[in-house]
Amino acid sequence: MAELLEIRSLNAGIEGKELLHDISLSVSQGETHVLMGQNGAGKSTLGSTIMGSPEYKVTKGSIIFDGEDITLDSPDKRAVKGIFMSFQNPVEIPGITLSEFLRNALEHITGEKIKLWDFKKKLNSAMEILDMDRSYADRELNTGFSGGEKKKAEILQLLMLRPRLAILDETDSGLDVDAVKTVSRGIEEYRKNSSGTLIIITHNSRILDEVHLDKTHILMNGRIVKEGDGSLAAHVLENGFEKYINKDDIA
Amino acid sequence: MKEKTQLNDIDRSIYDFRYDEDKEDFLDSGITPDIIKEISQEKNDPQWMREFRLSSLEIYKKTPMVKWGPSIDGLDVNNIVTYIRPKSRMNTEWDNVPDNIKETFEKLGIPKAERESLAGVGAQYDSELVYHNVRKEVAQSGVVYTDLESAMHDPLYADIIRSHFMKLVPPTDHKFAALHGAVWSGGSFVYVPKGVHLDIPLQSYFRLNAKGAGQFEHTLIILEEDSSLHFIEGCSAPKYYEAGLHAGCVELFVGKNAKLRYSTIENWSKNMFNLNTKRAIVEENGRIEWVSGSFGSHVSYLYPMSILNGRKASAEFTGITFAGEGQNLDTGAKIVHNAPETSSYMNTKSISKSGGISTFRSAVTINEKAEGSRSSVSCESLMLDRISRSDTIPVIDVKTDKCDVGHEAKIGRISDEAVFYLMSRGLDEENAKAMIVRGFADNVSKELPLEYAVEMNNLIGLEMHGSIG
Amino acid sequence: MEKVKLNKLPVPTFGRSGVNYTEREINSFEAENLTVENNDSKKLIQYIDTTRTFETRLTVGSGAKARLVQIFHNSGQTVSRLDAVLEDNAKLELIQLYLGDDTVSEINTRLKGENSEFSADIAYSLDKNDTLDINMIAEHYGRKSSSQINVSGVLNDSAAKTFKGTIDFKHGAVGAKGSEQEEALLLSEKVHNRTVPVILCAEEDVQGSHGANIGRIDEKLIFYMQSRGMSEESIYRLLARSKLERIIRSIEDDDTEKRIYNTLEWEYEQ
Repeated sequence: MAELLEIRSLNAGIEGKELLHDISLSVSQGETHVLMGQNGAGKSTLGSTIMGSPEYKVTKGSIIFDGEDITLDSPDKRAVKGIFMSFQNPVEIPGITLSEFLRNALEHITGEKIKLWDFKKKLNSAMEILDMDRSYADRELNTGFSGGEKKKAEILQLLMLRPRLAILDETDSGLDVDAVKTVSRGIEEYRKNSSGTLIIITHNSRILDEVHLDKTHILMNGRIVKEGDGSLAAHVLENGFEKYINKDDIA
Repeated sequence: MKEKTQLNDIDRSIYDFRYDEDKEDFLDSGITPDIIKEISQEKNDPQWMREFRLSSLEIYKKTPMVKWGPSIDGLDVNNIVTYIRPKSRMNTEWDNVPDNIKETFEKLGIPKAERESLAGVGAQYDSELVYHNVRKEVAQSGVVYTDLESAMHDPLYADIIRSHFMKLVPPTDHKFAALHGAVWSGGSFVYVPKGVHLDIPLQSYFRLNAKGAGQFEHTLIILEEDSSLHFIEGCSAPKYYEAGLHAGCVELFVGKNAKLRYSTIENWSKNMFNLNTKRAIVEENGRIEWVSGSFGSHVSYLYPMSILNGRKASAEFTGITFAGEGQNLDTGAKIVHNAPETSSYMNTKSISKSGGISTFRSAVTINEKAEGSRSSVSCESLMLDRISRSDTIPVIDVKTDKCDVGHEAKIGRISDEAVFYLMSRGLDEENAKAMIVRGFADNVSKELPLEYAVEMNNLIGLEMHGSIG
Repeated sequence: MEKVKLNKLPVPTFGRSGVNYTEREINSFEAENLTVENNDSKKLIQYIDTTRTFETRLTVGSGAKARLVQIFHNSGQTVSRLDAVLEDNAKLELIQLYLGDDTVSEINTRLKGENSEFSADIAYSLDKNDTLDINMIAEHYGRKSSSQINVSGVLNDSAAKTFKGTIDFKHGAVGAKGSEQEEALLLSEKVHNRTVPVILCAEEDVQGSHGANIGRIDEKLIFYMQSRGMSEESIYRLLARSKLERIIRSIEDDDTEKRIYNTLEWEYEQ
């Protein structure tokens, strides 16, 4: 199977401080991976770096997506190529409604104009899957949304934009059991309809019970310290991260 | 609605003691070429300074008073004595300072503070410095802290002074800058060499004792690369019925990577016109921090200005103004961003009481070259009764798109709920209000060295005392 | 034609700031008097698409409600003065959109009556060498009077804008409230933006606040929108448009809305 995403010996960080060291990672089309690690291990940094956040600079290595080097691409180019990230803390955008925003994004990603009527139809059916009230479409994006509403709005965008690779950054944190089920339903829908590839970022998660995992990567202090199949995730959830901590890093 | 009681001022007697002056020491009042020449004579000015004074006088005569700000009716500059001959030469030991002057400063706590917490002290009494001293180890590090007059005649510093004096605040800046250029006397010269960091502050204290007089001290501070300094300025005067005038000038040169903090607790008596000019220029990655408390004077015009001239230079201004009965205090700050990635932060509080007027006035300018700059201004005003006044007049002027400028202002009163809460814990109304006002002022008090924070809190206590009828 | 000082700041400040007044050569003002009778309700729309010098005097009677929409889409210079008086329980909603070449606009609202209410929603979009000078003054005389002023807009090319906004609590305006918020989005290095948010206060029991945000869009917001496929350029276009659209939608008059969309060459939907 061809690799959809390939990260080669990547170093990245903020000015004067390296946060990711020598990360290599491959994700094939259709697979679901999980990135695990404690707070501050570098999971979100890695997710944001794949998306192209200006906050982090790549100092070494490269990111290859579908055979193309995207290390220097701007975030919108990456999005158009098919990468999506659900944000841990989605930004509030006063003055622009969720529906207006999504329609705009969709037109950019597909490169085609979409009729208001067709768009509304799609939006309504996606919102139905996520148990979202239709009124959300006309609310200003993420403005005044609760934590759970913001997460749902992120998954709604995932369903509408149908990316080839979705990175879900702590999508389930702070959600109650019902909300986790709803979000999982959205993720399942994405996998079915878009034969989507997934990277799930989490530090302890119920969401992992709901999806089939192909691979687990454990991050510690900005390095991948252990990799394995889906069962590794379950093992870590049960036993904690302690045994993976590199003694040298503590000293 | 609950009836508000009016707040009364009380006598600030601890600052109001005074000694009579010897009239023979006074130069004639007024501003004429003859008076200016006489000052030059008294002070043995070098030739360039004699010329500088006379040309400043010409500018003074031509320059009109600004068309904004509080009225300065009641100030007749022609009646102000601009220079008073010093009773004694400058000393480096308190024992040599004349008794009544020494006593004055002792009452103000200066020698004690010097022993306990300062690296050096300068004390000005009327027109001239009477005392100046720095700790030995500070002097050995190459730090110069002396009066401007001696420095001007010292071959080591004469050129530095000539090339910096009133270059930042030229006499053409405004009418009272020109007046300052003509009649200035006293003040301090501080030079911190490259790489020297002073951990404990230097302080100058300005005391205007004579009545109907002016004080026109000039403070010139130069920080070389990678150095740091905390400079504290205190001022007070006893109360007279005749108007007094303070038109000092402060020029601060902050070098690359250097950091200067300039703290002032101003407590002039309420017959003073305080028309002071303060300005700092900051080079690459340098920093100026102003901490400013304005409590005294009848009328104040005071807007310390920071010019951020080097990349990543920064400025912070923290201020409080307390305007009571008969006071019209127009204060604030100016910040000019002239280089990329410069940043500024302004946080001010003002309090109006017993008919006092406080005005916050500011100007933040982001020039074309200042791309990537940030500025944030926050000002809050508190009205303590219905007969006072509080105005906020900021200007934000932005000439580049690549910047981030924020401004917020608030005005209001002490909430009845807060007073009730404190009273329910056993405080009486006056103390409850004083406590709330002290809390309101904590942006400044927490930036001051402990003993000055205590002094400021005492001033607030004094102002609030008798506030409940 | 004679050169006249316009838009004087109610209390002057530093002369070097250049905000105390602006000067234009003008003819005399054409004046229009409008009255909304007690307990009546009126909606007024002024669409200015030529060079004009005019004054609107508006009285909103007790318990009356007025909604005044002013669209400035002038080519050349326009000088406007709005003088409004609000009686007890009167309400004035002012909606202004500035798209013109050179506009000087003064809005003086006297909240004379108890419980009178003033709201102003203002948007502007300026480019090329456009200039705009607004002098907004809300004078609170009445007890419990309230004012709320929102200004937002976009500057492009060499456009220059000055917004002076004064909330003036007069002695006696017990319980009055006033707030003002400005957002200025700057899109070119040659723009010039001046903001002067003044609060004057001679009464204790009042609440006043001001806020201003000036500059570029927050980097995090750009990244978020980029991650959804939008280019930086289209993000700015979208946000700029949204600032105007919010105001246009609030006009609630289809013809006017269509007219604005047409002149902006935007598609009209709905």
